[in-house]
Amino acid sequence: MILTKATGHFTETEIDDEIVVMSLESGDFFSLTGTAKAIWLALDAGLDRHGLIAHLVGEFGAAPNAIGPDVDTFLEQLRGAGLLASR
Amino acid sequence: MKNTCLHDHVASRLASEIRWQYGEVPHGIAGVHVPPGFRCIADGCFLLRCESGYGYLYEPGRGITIERPPNADPDEEILWLNGSVYAGVACLNGFLPFHASAVAHEGRVFAFTGPAGAGKSTLAAGLGRFGFPLFCDDTLLVDLSIADQVLAMPGHKRLKLREDALAMTGATAVQPVGAETGKHYAEPLAGSIAQSLPFDTLVFLREGPELTWEPITGAARFAMLEDDHHTQEIYAEAVRPTLAEQFSMRARLAGQLRMARLVRPRSTAGFEASLAFVADRIREDAA
Repeated sequence: MILTKATGHFTETEIDDEIVVMSLESGDFFSLTGTAKAIWLALDAGLDRHGLIAHLVGEFGAAPNAIGPDVDTFLEQLRGAGLLASR
Repeated sequence: MKNTCLHDHVASRLASEIRWQYGEVPHGIAGVHVPPGFRCIADGCFLLRCESGYGYLYEPGRGITIERPPNADPDEEILWLNGSVYAGVACLNGFLPFHASAVAHEGRVFAFTGPAGAGKSTLAAGLGRFGFPLFCDDTLLVDLSIADQVLAMPGHKRLKLREDALAMTGATAVQPVGAETGKHYAEPLAGSIAQSLPFDTLVFLREGPELTWEPITGAARFAMLEDDHHTQEIYAEAVRPTLAEQFSMRARLAGQLRMARLVRPRSTAGFEASLAFVADRIREDAA
């Protein structure tokens, strides 16, 4: 299952090294830095969960088992905010 | 030069729209009744009915009509005109108002914002003692019509200070504002600026035990722009931006303005110390 951003449901901007994402449904803002920012950017690559984790392992040098739960938690937060889609 | 010409055009359009005359003002617009103490912005027009009986109507291309009640108070009249009415007309003509007082330095604008009573006017006026001319008092209008620059419009309000603030800032009292306000119209020590200038830094005033100046970075700049509720309300009523448009404007301001948080003790001694401190920060930032 390919994970993607929920195009049309948010708008975003980069300020300094942070990404600010706003849900167009709720008007809520999310500030993304560090790993969260890396995941958000990687969602543009058309990866599934395993591909996404492999990408982050390559970027941050962490063990897949160590970051998997954190990635899942963040993806759930994105989904809950209406910012994540899958196909 | 091109930017300057464009801005001059925008500024002169606002000057034209803000002209006023006396006459009858309706009690509603666009089918909406506006009772005393309320305002309405609809169809590009602005209607304010004050509890004192004053009425203000702005219509595009026709300027402002002021209805005076019996026993009209000229001080009240100018306060409404330069306050909510001016802000509403400015918003309807594409300007964004900030609740801020500002000084100019090296051709750029440094503005101080905070809630009522935070000391915006006193700080900006007091910086006159360090050679900084006043740029505006209480309301700062911003022109966003030029993509790569945030331009600030010079102030339209006369500086108003209380007796104690006059002594602290070195400003000269010109005349009382009104019997009930306890304030005086005043001339700042280093004069004032009457031309539009690039907006450099927005400083958020906070009270605290220790004098600090903390640059605001990243998404915090974006979040801080939510602080200015009063002027944002008028802008939202006038322009009715979508969420995406609001986001875009705030992203632009967060990207193009420097921001800082000034924490200072609220005391005469704290004020004295903060003046020299802030003057140094502004000079450093401009260098």
